Amino acid sequence: MDKHDGFYKRMALPALIITTVVFILPVGAVFLRSFSSGSNLNQTFTDPYTWRLLAFTVWESFLSALISVLLAIPFSVFFSRYTFFGRKAILTMSDAAFALPAILAVLGFVIYYGNNGMVNNALKAISGGRWSVKILYSFKAIILAHVYLNFPVAFSLITSSLSSMPDVEEKASRLLGASGIRTFFRITVPKISGTILATFTLIFLFCFPSFLIVMSLGGNPRFFTIEAEIYKRTYTDVNPAGSASLAIFSFLVMALLLVATGYGRDERRVRRSTHVLIKATGKRLAAAVALCIVIFIFMAPPMLAILYRAFFTRDGVFTLKAWADIAARSRLGTGTSLGAVLNSLLIASGSAIISVNMASAIAMGSVRTGSRFTTLLTSLPMAIGSVSMGLGFSFIAARMPLRNTVISYLLVLAAHVVVVMPFAVRSILPGARRIPERLPLAAKTLGGDSREAYRLIERPLLKPYRRRAFAFSFALSLGEVNATLALSEGRVTTIPILIYKMINQYNYQGAAALAVILLTIAITMFAIGETGGDEYAVS
Amino acid sequence: MPYLECRNLKRVFQHFTLDISFSMEKGELLCILGPSGSGKSTLLSAIAGIDSSVSGQFLLDGKDITSIPVQKRRIGMVFQDFSLFPSMNVEKNIQYGMRDVPAEEKERQTEKLLEMVSLPGYAKRKVNELSGGEAQRIALARAVAAKPQILLLDEPMSALDAPLRKRLRSTIRQIHDQTKITMLYVTHDREEAFAIADRIMIMRSGKLEAMGTPQELYRNPPNLFVANFTGEGSVIKVPQIAYNPAKNVAFFRPEDAVIKKCIPNETDFVLKNALVESYEFTGSDYMVRLSYKGQEILVRSNQRPEESIADIYVSKDKLLMLDAE
Repeated sequence: MDKHDGFYKRMALPALIITTVVFILPVGAVFLRSFSSGSNLNQTFTDPYTWRLLAFTVWESFLSALISVLLAIPFSVFFSRYTFFGRKAILTMSDAAFALPAILAVLGFVIYYGNNGMVNNALKAISGGRWSVKILYSFKAIILAHVYLNFPVAFSLITSSLSSMPDVEEKASRLLGASGIRTFFRITVPKISGTILATFTLIFLFCFPSFLIVMSLGGNPRFFTIEAEIYKRTYTDVNPAGSASLAIFSFLVMALLLVATGYGRDERRVRRSTHVLIKATGKRLAAAVALCIVIFIFMAPPMLAILYRAFFTRDGVFTLKAWADIAARSRLGTGTSLGAVLNSLLIASGSAIISVNMASAIAMGSVRTGSRFTTLLTSLPMAIGSVSMGLGFSFIAARMPLRNTVISYLLVLAAHVVVVMPFAVRSILPGARRIPERLPLAAKTLGGDSREAYRLIERPLLKPYRRRAFAFSFALSLGEVNATLALSEGRVTTIPILIYKMINQYNYQGAAALAVILLTIAITMFAIGETGGDEYAVS
Repeated sequence: MPYLECRNLKRVFQHFTLDISFSMEKGELLCILGPSGSGKSTLLSAIAGIDSSVSGQFLLDGKDITSIPVQKRRIGMVFQDFSLFPSMNVEKNIQYGMRDVPAEEKERQTEKLLEMVSLPGYAKRKVNELSGGEAQRIALARAVAAKPQILLLDEPMSALDAPLRKRLRSTIRQIHDQTKITMLYVTHDREEAFAIADRIMIMRSGKLEAMGTPQELYRNPPNLFVANFTGEGSVIKVPQIAYNPAKNVAFFRPEDAVIKKCIPNETDFVLKNALVESYEFTGSDYMVRLSYKGQEILVRSNQRPEESIADIYVSKDKLLMLDAE
């Protein structure tokens, strides 16, 4: 018997079993489908096209991650060293971008950079129709969108890591006579190389199963990632066995990548900041303003374009038509806009509640039992792209004797839980690690049992982490397109699914109105996650 | 019959084995003193029941508590890092261990305990607003509130600064004298142990090295390790004095020797022509470091040494004959 009477093991076990089953079921279904169709697997693994897909997927992920990280480094170095008005706001916004649904980037890009988008319209207006730029439906559009989504991630991660690093070594280096540049390359770079590599890896893993951006902004099978090809084989070629084989191939590659990059590895280092920010004045202040403007010019226009298009036609005439449509169609009961909003809220709340509770149990269990296996297990779902996941669930649905709306919703919910779980666990783990083991033990010496100690002492301490995890999971589920689309082919309509359909129907105004709703909910959730802060500091 | 008896406790680690048996009396304040890594905290965790991989037997007040889980042992513990519950205020922390006590009585007892630790009026404070000293006082009050059969204190003052430690250790002794709770107090600080203990148990590499009152251990250490660990002193190899051939080293405390020029008595043992290496002013006197035939000798002196060579006089009855390591 361990010192906690097995309490944490008992607490984590049901959550682990549920996560494993919900993960294994679709993966198993994919495997089964592939193996039952004879030689498909062998054919897939030897097909040069499969390897071309892999090469392209690796290349686009590598390039996206590299550019995101390289762009972020100078910003991060500046932001971790100097303080100025607006610094915190930008950092908060870049944190929020973590949960920015990819569909918003797609829509923002189409409206802003599209062939008939705002940039091109402006260029044509200035030049009398002679100038235009072609950005969308190309490789560079894919990379640009990936960087758009991941630059804030890189910026946020590297800045927070740099800010929490003590700068005594740098000070020592300067005192020993080294120049600022020499200090940066000899001291700072080796110190942050781990963080940079970890950030690069994370973004690479985010971009590897990219689907939505590739489908919507690549616009050409030449630019298909493995996930995009899986979707195409399933719904365009109606070749589920072929897509299942490719899903297995993708799963093996991703699992290999996860193991190789050690993404499931625990990061137990906890460092306190001994680092005082310098107030930017003069030239530095000018640099700060310039950097803020650069970030703003890159990040803001696509989102502002969405906001604009929700209220204005392409020709700049104010209209509330899209909003009237959302209300009217739902009143008649034929449309799905308001229904989609309700669906999204329902599914996001459900998957966030389930994930946060299971993730708390798993995180506490993993920390108290010192099990690395547990966290590795929960990051396993990252090894399967959400399209493949949705595909797996659709195979399960096809075999179900009973098919009705409730089952469809439950399957979508299950898929979302699997997609969201690794992130929920990762949001709660640092909180669980911060609670000293002595606290529940102290409670025991005072006559309390482990359950009571968890309820009265540990759970309140986890609260800010649980709230953040809830907001993050909610936002992720809210923006989820891939699994939902692959699973129900859009039968369970959520906001992003409807936006995706509207983009395909060139109904940008309707899509923009819905995107404004989506963005508002996502921002509200993020604000909820950030409020309250850390109520109980554990020393 | 002893109040707490620990029989054949054994806990094997890769490079360290705890192997100990000891007992203590009811109402006693026993200090466990030993260098870092000697197994003091491991022993305490085993008694509390936190470390269940220890084999052996625990008897408390005649009852075998070996298989009783932590929360039912009624053994209180005060931790190094206070371990107050951040989600509760001072009052709720103190009342956490009061089981089956009516609300009014809880409040009354809380007030009384806060007065006992000299923090009246602190009931509604948040625990993360307390200073280190205050936090440890609350931790003490919380542990006492649960009315433990025995209270274990695991280096409770190691996180505090020196003046605070002195004040708090007398508070702990007062609480002990008022409540008559049996206390087992772990420390690596000799001065702290001497100041508050009824008896001291010295541990080394997981084993019991000696046990006795502070005076006994200081004056009559059973071996050189205990002699050195309980205070400063000097060692001389026996052939140089040929005093008690059964033991091979002689040990004396700095205050038992003088370096003044004087005519030796028959009762004095003299080390002639020792070299004065250095001296430190301690406030009340000087601690003089000398070298005698390559051996370091420490002597307390009222005066600052004037010359570089001195004779050392040690009263023979203060010379302890011990086994070398």
